Amino acid sequence: MIRNPGQNSELVIRHARVLDPSTGLDAIKDVRVSSGRIAEIGDGLRGMRELDADGLHLFPGFVDVHAHWRTPGREDEETIESGSAAAAAGGFTGVVMMPNTDPVVDKPVVVSGLLRRVERESRVRAYVSAALHVGLKGERLTEMQLLKEAGALCVSDDGLGTPSAGVLRNAMLYARTAGMPVLLHCEDHTLATGVVHDGAAAALAGIPGSPASAEDAATATALVLAAETGAKTHITHVSTALSAALVRFFEDRADITADTTPHHLTLTDDLISTLDGTYRVNPPLRPEDDREAVTEALRDGTLDFVATDHAPHASEEKELPLEEAAPGFLGHETAFAALHTELVLTGKLSLSRLVEAMSCAPGRWVGEGGSLAVGEPADLILADLSEGWTVGRESLSSRSWNSPYLGKNLTGRVVGTIVGGELVYDRMGARFGVRA
Amino acid sequence: MRSRDFLTLEETSREELREVLDLARDVSDGRLASPLAGKTVCLAFFEASTRTAVSFELAARRSGADVISLSENGSAISKGESLVDTVVTLDSLGADTLVLRHPAAGAAKLAARHARAAVVNAGDGRGQHPTQALLDLYALSEAFGGLDELSGRRVAIAGDVLHSRVARSVIPALRTAGMEVALTAPRTLLPLETDVWDLPVLPSVDAALEWGAEVLYMLRLQNERMTGGSPLVSSVAEYAAYYGVARRHLRRGVRVMHPGPVNRGVEISGDVVLDERSLIPNQVAAGIAVRSAVLALATGVAHEVAA
Repeated sequence: MIRNPGQNSELVIRHARVLDPSTGLDAIKDVRVSSGRIAEIGDGLRGMRELDADGLHLFPGFVDVHAHWRTPGREDEETIESGSAAAAAGGFTGVVMMPNTDPVVDKPVVVSGLLRRVERESRVRAYVSAALHVGLKGERLTEMQLLKEAGALCVSDDGLGTPSAGVLRNAMLYARTAGMPVLLHCEDHTLATGVVHDGAAAALAGIPGSPASAEDAATATALVLAAETGAKTHITHVSTALSAALVRFFEDRADITADTTPHHLTLTDDLISTLDGTYRVNPPLRPEDDREAVTEALRDGTLDFVATDHAPHASEEKELPLEEAAPGFLGHETAFAALHTELVLTGKLSLSRLVEAMSCAPGRWVGEGGSLAVGEPADLILADLSEGWTVGRESLSSRSWNSPYLGKNLTGRVVGTIVGGELVYDRMGARFGVRA
Repeated sequence: MRSRDFLTLEETSREELREVLDLARDVSDGRLASPLAGKTVCLAFFEASTRTAVSFELAARRSGADVISLSENGSAISKGESLVDTVVTLDSLGADTLVLRHPAAGAAKLAARHARAAVVNAGDGRGQHPTQALLDLYALSEAFGGLDELSGRRVAIAGDVLHSRVARSVIPALRTAGMEVALTAPRTLLPLETDVWDLPVLPSVDAALEWGAEVLYMLRLQNERMTGGSPLVSSVAEYAAYYGVARRHLRRGVRVMHPGPVNRGVEISGDVVLDERSLIPNQVAAGIAVRSAVLALATGVAHEVAA
């Protein structure tokens, strides 16, 4: 619930290490939030309500362009309330919900219904991705212009690839007409006949593999068509070295962007040897060479940002042999901690680039958030980069617990999340003070 | 002695292999009377099986166990109960050992995580089929004069390695026994990264014999690999010519093995199946003794009775 803050909603956050790559700021500062916006950043600011952030980092809120909140249809797995609580706990102040729900988000009335529920139930800003094709079937185009009028942000058949290049090309041209960005899950289903990466680990374990070409061939097709049609196109969850290189080939095209996920940046296909359904995800976890290439592509900006592909699943869909389990991982609550632990603390990625990739760049894509410039909405987070914690079922706000990091020790944790000046997640409690 | 699971042969040591074979020899010689008396063995087959199911059932009954058989027909399995729930139920009913066949790799490992009973993997997906490889090793040992006589001998595994759980158990078992292993199959029937086993890949059965194979281990080629939307082989004739074993291959006295059921005229010509150089009947016969031994070890009674 993002309430309109009243006149007395002023808050001064004091002595935080403020890091905002969008403005180049990286210093210990005070931040004044007023009427839901960033009012002032400086030294020695005082206010009626103060938050002592000594020892904490302050970033623009993270933005996740790829999440499944399972609403409508699978509210046993996630709801807008629980999904947004998980997002807030992970520092996400803006989230795009994918349309592969039941019913599919392919009609304007479903979009407007969802947005009404977001207004009532969501702790963070939530945006609707509508379907690119009716029923995600890759046949009839959705009414993209009406979907946009109803409030959809973008279009996607996420979860599925597009059946043919011809179908995708028409959809891109039509989306361009509607002025809607297209978010693409690139997967050639004639190649993707398995459930894990077709590599050494799959061969040993005897789990049916899908070759990297299933992603690479579809990514190449999507990029070529995006360049030709001029459609604003975003390639989501890039997971292979070759797909990253293909995206790099088109790096001068500002209307083509791409992301990768925290799990493809931190985990590899050696987890197949566990045979545990927990580790099934699509695209599948890849070998170390791919993980390194994708990390480098994120570092150098080839991949514009990180998106989690937060995909809750009920335990009965995961407590299965790997090849029978549903694909997908929770993402919101562990994204920052996993990336901070595995990439920043190991020196593979700067903290500044991580914040740019989780906040600024996806914020620009969504058109809201990701900056602490004065006048911007006060969507920001406080993080304790030294806090060590163990990911456990009980610590998760999501309704599901299918995290590949369960039981792992991570370092760095979001302790406070503010959306539009409103504190929507708070593990700081005692730090608040009201000046007499 | 505590019970133990038999899930995979990937990490099994030579001494552990020897223990099973020695015990199977004892069973075969009648030195192990009713070791499972008073124990309950549950056979849960989530996938159709004839020879493995029958072999396990005979092994369990001849060892004196009470046997419960669940198959996919007419049980909770066919009513959509999950693997974990079925396992927990059988466990709660007091099964001492659970023999599990399942269409997905990792099923036995998952079952073992949820069961107090010992779990014996009777084949899971393309993953593992440990008792098959153990009985193969038993039949080979008998044919060559003991486990130690296998060291340094060459065996070629021919056919559909990609989809074969048998191959994934036989490869580590034969290598642990000291044998040199090669593969022969078209690339469509091998994993993309065949290097994981670090084995030579030979172009045909003829080439395998030139390489010095004394044993040809033939894998079954399932019909759907030859037909279907994207067939993996061109024709039976071409497959049989390169990767099948015919009588002419037996001239040097090589031994032929097959886990069954055989496709006569595809991977093995009809007149080879029951040739005296075929170990196929020996493999089937070894099944009962080896599975009795495995059940005794899994249930934790082997040492008490063998001592």
